[in-house]
Amino acid sequence: MEVAEVEAEVEKKATATRSRLIVRLAALLVSYSTLVSVVCCLAGLIALLVLPLLAKNTYISENALLPGSANPVLSYQHVTQANNLILDIMNIADDKEAPDIEIPKLIAKYMEILGAETYHHKFSQPQNQFHPLYFFSTSPNSPPTLANLSYGTSTVGIIRAPRGDGKEAIVLVSPYNTQNAGGIDASASSIGLAFSVFSLLSRATWLAKDIIWVASDSRFGDHTSVSAWLNDYHNPNFIGDASSNRIFKRAGTMACGIVFKVVEKERREKYEDRDVVTMYAEASNGQMPNLDLLNVVHYLAVHRQGIRVRIGMFGGLVKSHLVRVLGEVMQQVGRFARSLNPDWRFEMPSSEYVEGTATLASSIYSQALGVPTGPHGAFRDYQVDAVTLELSPRFSLKNEHTRLAFLLKGGRLIEGTVRSVNNLLEKFHQSFFLYFLTAPNKFVSVGVYMIPFAFLVAPLPIIAASLFNLTSNRNPWRWLHTAKPLLITHTWSVVVTLLPFYISKISDLPSTHCMLTWAGGSLMALVILYIVFGSPYSKHVEWRLLKAVMIASVSIGLCLMSIINFATAQIGALFVVPMCLFALPIRVKTNNSLIRSMVMTCNLVMAVLGFPVTAVALMQGVIKGFGTVSILEFWDSMKFLWGWNSATYLYLVLVHLPCWLLFLHILFHPCR
Amino acid sequence: MASDPMGSQLRRILSIFFSLSIILPLSSPSPTMHNNNWAVLVCTSRFWFNYRHMANTLSLYRTVKRLGIPDERIILMLADDMACNARNNYPAQVFNNENHQLNLYGDNVEVDYRGYEVTVENFLRVLTGRHEASVPRSKHLLSDEGSHILLYMTGHGGNEFLKFQDTEELQSHDLADAVKQMKEKNRFKELLIMVDTCQAATLFSQLQSPGVVTIGSSMKGENSYSHHLDPDVGVSVVDRFTFYTLAFFERLDMYSNASLNSLFTSYDPTLLMSTAYYRTDLYERPLNMVPVTNFFGSVMKTIPTDSAYPGFLVAHASEYAAISAETETARVVLEDEADHSKTYDQSEKGLQHTLDEWLKLLEGKLGVKDPEVLVAYGLGSMVLLLTISTWLSS
Repeated sequence: MEVAEVEAEVEKKATATRSRLIVRLAALLVSYSTLVSVVCCLAGLIALLVLPLLAKNTYISENALLPGSANPVLSYQHVTQANNLILDIMNIADDKEAPDIEIPKLIAKYMEILGAETYHHKFSQPQNQFHPLYFFSTSPNSPPTLANLSYGTSTVGIIRAPRGDGKEAIVLVSPYNTQNAGGIDASASSIGLAFSVFSLLSRATWLAKDIIWVASDSRFGDHTSVSAWLNDYHNPNFIGDASSNRIFKRAGTMACGIVFKVVEKERREKYEDRDVVTMYAEASNGQMPNLDLLNVVHYLAVHRQGIRVRIGMFGGLVKSHLVRVLGEVMQQVGRFARSLNPDWRFEMPSSEYVEGTATLASSIYSQALGVPTGPHGAFRDYQVDAVTLELSPRFSLKNEHTRLAFLLKGGRLIEGTVRSVNNLLEKFHQSFFLYFLTAPNKFVSVGVYMIPFAFLVAPLPIIAASLFNLTSNRNPWRWLHTAKPLLITHTWSVVVTLLPFYISKISDLPSTHCMLTWAGGSLMALVILYIVFGSPYSKHVEWRLLKAVMIASVSIGLCLMSIINFATAQIGALFVVPMCLFALPIRVKTNNSLIRSMVMTCNLVMAVLGFPVTAVALMQGVIKGFGTVSILEFWDSMKFLWGWNSATYLYLVLVHLPCWLLFLHILFHPCR
Repeated sequence: MASDPMGSQLRRILSIFFSLSIILPLSSPSPTMHNNNWAVLVCTSRFWFNYRHMANTLSLYRTVKRLGIPDERIILMLADDMACNARNNYPAQVFNNENHQLNLYGDNVEVDYRGYEVTVENFLRVLTGRHEASVPRSKHLLSDEGSHILLYMTGHGGNEFLKFQDTEELQSHDLADAVKQMKEKNRFKELLIMVDTCQAATLFSQLQSPGVVTIGSSMKGENSYSHHLDPDVGVSVVDRFTFYTLAFFERLDMYSNASLNSLFTSYDPTLLMSTAYYRTDLYERPLNMVPVTNFFGSVMKTIPTDSAYPGFLVAHASEYAAISAETETARVVLEDEADHSKTYDQSEKGLQHTLDEWLKLLEGKLGVKDPEVLVAYGLGSMVLLLTISTWLSS
């Protein structure tokens, strides 16, 4: 008995010491919280800057794709046929009274000659309204109301795979615009390009998936027509409309969507020695298509057709001196590291670093904005991988010979991509979905790009814990008093989120007035909330506790946002984390006046820059140059965000704004 | 029947003479003499991009058929049907070369196990012969103790395993166990295992049964690569190891004498981009004495006789393949097997002696005297034979 008791005691002690180790480690971290947070923040910033160096070359991960293994068979015959279509379209656009009725008919006629199943899809312009409840579900299922509005007409053709099972389909989309008289060349070429590929595929014996060609009328924007068609494709309308005889044919589930349009660049731009294809991949809320799709396009374009591939890049950053200096530093560091150990090969020429950074910034920004960069975004809403390819020819399309050569090249690129996707046996799943691009053939995967964010967020709980320990009150439930101002702030932020819904109901207000109404309404709401619930500075509310609670809520908000849209959380953390760490009341008494004055300066600067309106303006200024930015455009940019149902709007108003308000609360805390 | 001592003795002598000459050549070698050939050809991978594995297997199928193994002795297992895949540019055809000269999936291709029937379980059942009652006889490997079996497998492999159908795998000890069972059940005399996968050599590491010779396309840690891509079909159509194996066999017909050794040493590591590895420690015969047609064809040793009747046997019963006499000299002669037949020669010598004497006498007469004397002798001997036979039959 005794022995057993002793043993039990020893065991208890052992477990006690074991658990104490973790606690002690945590305590150690908390006691050195300032040092830890400084180190973590610096590490996070450095890791962010080093990301272009850590980018890996892309590779095709899915065996089944086999890009470029088959020779393209698109010939001059197909292209000349397509050229006839182009000429016909141009004639109609020049002569006919109503080209927007004639062109779909013409396209349908050409499709039918190939033996495709053809129909027209009519759609109307959607009402760009603020739907607070439609976030994360981009397609509000509104019944089509074609009667009273002007509508666009897309033409759709379907080729059934001769020996396929008809359960899968590849969608080709070629947007065209008849309204824009100047761009009819390019629009007609887009149609021609699609037609050349379509005519080849209509005779192909190797199809395992059906081919759907949507010649989408983009008078209301490229995205609208595609999204309307996809909505009708996926949400069959069984009720009513039987009299109107609307034919809507379907093929199988979509394996992939390829949107391509021909764009003629202005001559004044710098001389190109090759045709260029620009890939746009970002869909709503930072979703990306599977990296394999981009890899296939890149591989075929570069290694088979000799087309240059571009992706979005911020030209301003390439010229920025700061980034260039950084590039030089990185080059030197890389060289130094390699001199230490020849196996460390992260040396990168500074020019490459600069370009990588500019591309990465564009990639992060486009994802963080949460707005699709093209019609492919509509596909992503139905979990279909899609990409938009913008092909710009080296020579003018007016010349028939160069046009034919260009169509042949572009057509073979699309043929190769279709054949590659046709080889797929299941959905794209092998490669990455979460990545940033630093070049068309370089990417930073999720495992790497999470490191800077983790470093930035890691000090938050530690600081919160240390602040909680520093308070004079020893009651473990003491944070409950400070929960009240937090609750008020968040209630207020919800009110601010919903206000635009009512403001947008009042029609015909200029955006400046809307902006002022929004600001005034928010201010009034805040005052009313304080009158109802009392001042945030009651005597129980210590500033340290307030800061701890603010940090806790912000870190929760950031982590949630990182799941929804990582890029937003990443950029947001750059603004919010310093605010959380530096917050200090003006009236607090400290011994070291130098440090205090420095912190105070920082605080005041952050109080200005951290305000969502200025923060957004700052971001846009950094990216696009400060000349064009105006604070009054905030309403428009917010309207843009909710028009696309971007979660970034929610983040700005529900996480960033309360954080800033609490920051002000701390700044002006009476410190009794 | 009246018993006649003289007559019964002579009859006994004659009957012994005949029975000996019939029985001896068959019974004198060991009971496990090679007397039939089987081939088990397995393609284990599915999916369009593995087209080449099916093409590999079908090419081997065609080769062994051409070299003389009949369809009923070939078990062909194909895990997928590339010919009918919607992605196939040439419907219902399979090619192993971009020149498209030879459709491997033409007439008379008998696939025994297809699609999802190709599993590790079915494969082991085929080898060990433990089928369910409902499995038709044409799907059985009906080999016996005199069989030479060619086992060819291709697919995706790794260290000590071969993947079947993306879902399961055959491990090296599974294979070794199956071969051991086969040996114990006397299901083969000799077994050649040929594997074209990545790290193929590792699949043989657990084998212990005697009479097994193995060759794999690559060593441990090496990949086996495809040979070339067909830009029309859009996939790789043949693997390097199999391609060079086929190139070797393309030069041969069923009368050729190339030895296993010449096949095994024909692989050039620079062309293969891997090292073909063969294991012979379980195999008794020297490889340069074994014709490839012993496994890839149906060529086996037979004992040639001058006439159908053993009374007129030649003095030496040496080893020949059952082929025309013009290649006799080129044919590899197997020394150790020939020893068995020598004992048989000596036991028969006494009986043949008297007959030889008579023939010599006849020959001597033919050389010296004029034809009339020979005719007279002939008539005389015919009369003599007639009287003896009538006397015996009375």
